[in-house]
Amino acid sequence: MKGFILRKVLLLVPLLFGITLTTFALTKALPGDPAVNMVGERSRPEIIAKMRKEIGADKGVVRQYAGYVLLLLQGEMGRSYYTNRNVLDDIRIKFPNTLRLALGAMAMAIPPGMILGLFAAMRKGGWADRTISVFSISLLSIPVFWSGLMLMLLFGLVLKLLPPSGTGGLRYMLLPALTLSLPALGTIARVTRVSVLEVADMPFIRTARAKGISDCRVNGIHVMKNALIPVVTVIGLDFASYLNGAVLTETIFGWDGIGRFMMEGIIKRDYPVIMGCIIVGTSLFVFTNLAVDILYHYLDPRMRIYETER
Amino acid sequence: MSGILRNRAGRFGVICGVFAVFLFIPSCSSRNRIEGYLYYRLNADPTTLDPALVTDVTGGGITAKLFNGLVKLDPHLNVVPDIAERWEAREGGRYFLFHLKRGITFVNGREVTARDVQYSFTRILDPKGRSPNSWVLERISGAREFMSGAAKEVAGIEVVDRYTVRISLARPFSPFLNLLTMTAAYIVPKEAVERWGADFGDHPVGTGPFVMGRWDRNGELVLERNDRYFDGRARVRGIVYRVIPEELTTVTEFETGNLDVLSIPAYEYSRYRRSPVWNGLISSAKGLNTYYLGFNCSRPPFNDIRLRQAAACAIDRRKILDTFLERRGRLAEGPVPDLLRKWRIFHGYRYDPAKAGRIVREAGAVNRRIYFYVTSDQEVVDIAEIIQSYLKKAGLDVRIRQLEWSAYKTALNRGQADMFWISWWADYPDPENFLFPLFHSSNHGAGGNRAWYTNKEVDRLIEAGQTETNAVERLRYYGDAENIIVRDLPLVCFWHRTDYTLHQPSVKNYRIYPVYSIDKGMEVSF
Repeated sequence: MKGFILRKVLLLVPLLFGITLTTFALTKALPGDPAVNMVGERSRPEIIAKMRKEIGADKGVVRQYAGYVLLLLQGEMGRSYYTNRNVLDDIRIKFPNTLRLALGAMAMAIPPGMILGLFAAMRKGGWADRTISVFSISLLSIPVFWSGLMLMLLFGLVLKLLPPSGTGGLRYMLLPALTLSLPALGTIARVTRVSVLEVADMPFIRTARAKGISDCRVNGIHVMKNALIPVVTVIGLDFASYLNGAVLTETIFGWDGIGRFMMEGIIKRDYPVIMGCIIVGTSLFVFTNLAVDILYHYLDPRMRIYETER
Repeated sequence: MSGILRNRAGRFGVICGVFAVFLFIPSCSSRNRIEGYLYYRLNADPTTLDPALVTDVTGGGITAKLFNGLVKLDPHLNVVPDIAERWEAREGGRYFLFHLKRGITFVNGREVTARDVQYSFTRILDPKGRSPNSWVLERISGAREFMSGAAKEVAGIEVVDRYTVRISLARPFSPFLNLLTMTAAYIVPKEAVERWGADFGDHPVGTGPFVMGRWDRNGELVLERNDRYFDGRARVRGIVYRVIPEELTTVTEFETGNLDVLSIPAYEYSRYRRSPVWNGLISSAKGLNTYYLGFNCSRPPFNDIRLRQAAACAIDRRKILDTFLERRGRLAEGPVPDLLRKWRIFHGYRYDPAKAGRIVREAGAVNRRIYFYVTSDQEVVDIAEIIQSYLKKAGLDVRIRQLEWSAYKTALNRGQADMFWISWWADYPDPENFLFPLFHSSNHGAGGNRAWYTNKEVDRLIEAGQTETNAVERLRYYGDAENIIVRDLPLVCFWHRTDYTLHQPSVKNYRIYPVYSIDKGMEVSF
């Protein structure tokens, strides 16, 4: 197990290097001049040139990249062109908000998603199965900018129960987390259903039933545990993407997270912000997948045997 | 589930859960505000609140409530005293003597003196600084020498005594007092600027009716009332600016009562107009702006005036204004907004599609391909498509090219577009602010003259207007210049937009102004 984790972590080094290179190249390929954006086009050319020098845009691209990598190796991500604030500090402030939102969304999506998927599988072909299928496909298909606005209108304007937007405690988190949870709920329900049906036909389940174990125990323990691997994968992917910031949800609800921070960076051509968000986001994605891989080992003994044999 | 209910601990858990939900729901409310504070919306945080560095309208509107200049604009766009008690213009507008009011203090308690004026203006021009607003004060005598490093101080800013400052200009510039109403000319205390350094924009210290409270980026920016403000006391306890990027969210927040003022989005305008509840609460202000279709006059096809005339005749601007914009603007006769024009336009253009088609045929430009540059803003794209269809009827093959804002500006500044859609908003309320940047040949490209228009007579008239101190004569120069421009058609002016806002019934004395710096937040109340 330790070897497995070590191998995975070592693989991250070239991966993260590749990410910095790609992100840097893409950022440089964006149209527009951040120096002009910052000081306004009516500024004198000397001021624009000075600003370019200040943000290092007067150097060659290779030197700029080398400088950035050096900065990263020192544990820094530079300062925002606009606010002059340390990007890493800003990410540290905004990331807990994004994490809270992602956890909230997952908490709202996983239990009902799995229960609905299991229930649909148990009633395969029946009206309940069909209803759940339609429901989960609907949740998957509705774009968050629509569902978010509808929830905001309902709970904020009509029922006057929750604040329509803002960043804060549970009151503020409920609507964006619910919005974000809906497509995940749909996905989890569908994947659970398919996975449960696949496992339910396995000989070891028939054996369990033949041994006289109750339906509840067979479905709840034997089937669910074995059906979890694809579900965990989906949850991991969704969670990782939420950690990168749900740009639309955070923008609609004015939630001060990584997604909105990055979006504003892109609009303003604030390169250190864009780079910082992408690097942190991608690293989180990679680490979440690593965590999912590790989780497989606990869920599926075959994985452990496979790794030991290797 | 039934298992849970049979279990004693489970039953207890369910009861607790239901109880918690019932406790939670009544404590929830969509209302979210502190009483006595006025709630506005910002679509993004201002970049900075340092007057030397502010270039955006958002930052300008807030700094206007935190700082004061020597002079300011009144609601009728006249220049009136602010920190200066009075001023004298001498030698035909070559220099100004400003007498400061006594006893005005910064919010740190120190009195404002002539030295602060000298420091604040010099700071804008300082070559070691990075103020993008140096153009506002560069007409002061000695400013260019100071900016180039050839002089150690600005010769044209002299402290006469503790309360008098003398400002000399390199040559008379008639809108100079208007320039002094701008954000860049606000007075700042040296000790606070030096204390905070680059972070002064986060910790602004001024003389205004409000002081900086707190600023949670991407959240709220709170201004508290300055009870020691020299010009009276604001009627609200403070102002909260909430950063809400999404327009539909803003509308919901407004209707929930969490915002006091809403800048009405285009798609909501007719709904609020029709609503008996909201219609009476709509305020409007004629904006000092001009939306126009520009042509690149420096190269084919639009170096041929006939094609510019054809385009002007081909488009029914009135129809677009009445239908697409639902009359939220005034039809433009020329580049200078109606609020500032005191003369007649003699050669205006009329919608005449038959004439447009005839001119295109005579010019041999049927099916001529034209690249029309626009930003990716949806409203702009819609207008571009309307223009495209009108020009198609006249026989021109218009291809729309959508670009991201800064890429679009770069393309225009390099003269890459045949035709483009853009607007110009006044920095200060004077016709010169429209004529000089947009049409003087020294401003080709980034300076504002993106039509690359050159006319020596227009240059001469604009320059004459800049130095003329006799108001009647000045207006004559500007009127003559605008009439030549309208005849030459480097651009077709469409309209001057009117701004519409909606406020809550509880908000009293609310009004909007054509220039953001006029609003100091003093009159509005609950």
